[in-house]
Amino acid sequence: MGLLSKKDAALIKDPLADNNPITIQVLGICSALAITAELEAAIVMSVSVLFVLGIGNVVISLMRNIIPSKIRIIVQLIVVAALVIIVDQVLKAFAYELSKTLSVFVGLIITNCIIMGRFEAFALGNGAWRSFLDGIGNALGYGVILIIVAFFRELLGAGTLLGFKVLGDPIEKTGVYAFGYENNGFMIMPPMALIVVGIIIWVQRTRNKALIED
Amino acid sequence: MSNKTDSNLYTILFAIAMVVVVGGLLAFTASALKPRINNNERLEKQQNILYAMGVNANDESSAIFVSTDEAPELFSKYITKQLVIQGKNVTEDKEAYLIDVKKEQTSAKAGNARRLPLFVGVKDGKTYYIAPIRGKGLWDAIWGYIALDKNMVVQGAYFDHKGETAGLGANIKQRFFMDDFIGEDLMNNGEFKGITVAKGNNDPKNIEKNDNEVDAIAGATITGDGVSAMLKSELKQYVSYFKTLK
Amino acid sequence: MEHLELFLKSIFIDNMVFSVFLGMCSYLAVSKKVSTAVGLGAAVIFVLAITVPLNWLLDQYLLQPGALAWLGDDYADYDLSFLSFIMFIATIATMVQLVEIVVEKFSPSLYNSLGIFLPLIAVNCAILGGSLFMQSREIPTLGLATVYGIGSGIGWFLAILAIAAIREKIRYSNVPPALRGLGITFIITGLMAIGFMSFGGMLTGGEEETTKEENTANVDESKENLEVKEVLANNIKVNE
Repeated sequence: MGLLSKKDAALIKDPLADNNPITIQVLGICSALAITAELEAAIVMSVSVLFVLGIGNVVISLMRNIIPSKIRIIVQLIVVAALVIIVDQVLKAFAYELSKTLSVFVGLIITNCIIMGRFEAFALGNGAWRSFLDGIGNALGYGVILIIVAFFRELLGAGTLLGFKVLGDPIEKTGVYAFGYENNGFMIMPPMALIVVGIIIWVQRTRNKALIED
Repeated sequence: MSNKTDSNLYTILFAIAMVVVVGGLLAFTASALKPRINNNERLEKQQNILYAMGVNANDESSAIFVSTDEAPELFSKYITKQLVIQGKNVTEDKEAYLIDVKKEQTSAKAGNARRLPLFVGVKDGKTYYIAPIRGKGLWDAIWGYIALDKNMVVQGAYFDHKGETAGLGANIKQRFFMDDFIGEDLMNNGEFKGITVAKGNNDPKNIEKNDNEVDAIAGATITGDGVSAMLKSELKQYVSYFKTLK
Repeated sequence: MEHLELFLKSIFIDNMVFSVFLGMCSYLAVSKKVSTAVGLGAAVIFVLAITVPLNWLLDQYLLQPGALAWLGDDYADYDLSFLSFIMFIATIATMVQLVEIVVEKFSPSLYNSLGIFLPLIAVNCAILGGSLFMQSREIPTLGLATVYGIGSGIGWFLAILAIAAIREKIRYSNVPPALRGLGITFIITGLMAIGFMSFGGMLTGGEEETTKEENTANVDESKENLEVKEVLANNIKVNE
């Protein structure tokens, strides 16, 4: 970590585990439930959030001294929304295929409270470079949980990963299905995402007792 | 500093500046990119229509369109006629594929006669009639193109959506779902019956083609119901035209 | 009748928390105590009841393709729908801060109990979700939009009240230490959501509805279309 001082490195490392946005800070839950039925969608969403949070944090951080406190929420929301809409329009014009994949996530990104949460908690009080690192770190922490949840939901629910049939064909009864294994269709229902996240929290806090609530 | 940024005057001025800057920026990007976006959307419509009639670059399991470069050329090659059906009047219109189905639906609600586009395509000596459809899924709009033969038997289907749940409702645009429709008969004993996306269907491989049913996607009940409803309500309006073909 | 149906549907079948999973962040973070949960829930009802009809007006007279027709024929072709996200958000954030300022001025005691929740509401995706659903489901009248806003708010209120009550009681249970607090809340919410899935079958009626519609298939076109639309409306349920 020659490039980053110890303090800066912590900005990236902490959100990955001990200060994870989803399991500790309780931010960005809605999208974690909505798009984790499938691994590919979870990865696309993680990358989009990485992008928006990284840039958004820098913009807000640069504006932090001129934003009137009375209307700061509106200003923050408008910055995110404008950023996302512009990116969406540009993609529609120059990379139409990509924009088709991403358009579903536009609404989810704007309403993702992880973005507002980090603006409010960090970017409003810190410099641009540190805000940028904080944004990247939190987006990565968010992405890690999303990908773990999606991995289990897609594997157990549909028997596939990234669309590839890793467990065999459920209709032709090949692979593990030949032994009587059945997909657990319930795994792809949204309530199971809640339960999977609950279990991740359980595992995480068993390993790190300091995180246990009273 | 905090005193300065807390005053009412500053707040108001800031808000105005913000609106002007953001509004200007958005309006600028929207209008500057409009021609490109429109062009992309036009090409996509051509790709979709061609896809439905089987002109595509599908590999084994995924749906792939013909490339955007080839689309206009292939479109004029395969699509021989573009019709607009309005009541009993059938007219030809070279740009019928640009008709906005959503606008037509809204204006039909207001009591105007609806303009129904229908594209006639010929491939390998076989004639396809392709109709656009549009409806509602769980979260937002869903739409598609259905290619039929003159007896209203489905020859190809393409579905798309704006924001259905990834991994569930979003799967309506997957090959395994769209291909299920091929060969299904929209009619039953001479009456229009549509195709229902059915759960608890004892035909998961979709061998039975005359049951007016295809297998639903698990976990996508509402999106599936939306597909059934749009097939029924939209294609029904074409029935009288297809009767004239016989 | 239509209003009552939409009202009940938005509370139970389309429940913001248990069916469409919106507004989860504040739902999980602010449900430790019943009293605070009630405060936040009330604020959400209030804000939804104001912003959904307001955004309905914006959508009808400003944003929809052709919405500007009231300005004259020249404007009928404008399509400002790319602005809907930002307009909806601006309305919501403005309303939230307006409410905050007004409440602070006129009722300091209410402000103290509600105050800290108001900024939280602006980022509560249930609020924006309410407006976006209103738009994508094409709710036809202002009255229905208001009913939908209030109903969704009450649904959210009930959800947070229920989980807060459970969390207060569960303190006396022997939950594994690592699961205490957030972990068990996630799992309970999952179980509650599974329970709420059963409401999904209530108004849709499934099979019955389709056969009824098929029988009338030969009646004149316009009536049939209406019916299809009704079935569609009824079918917008939840358990995806």
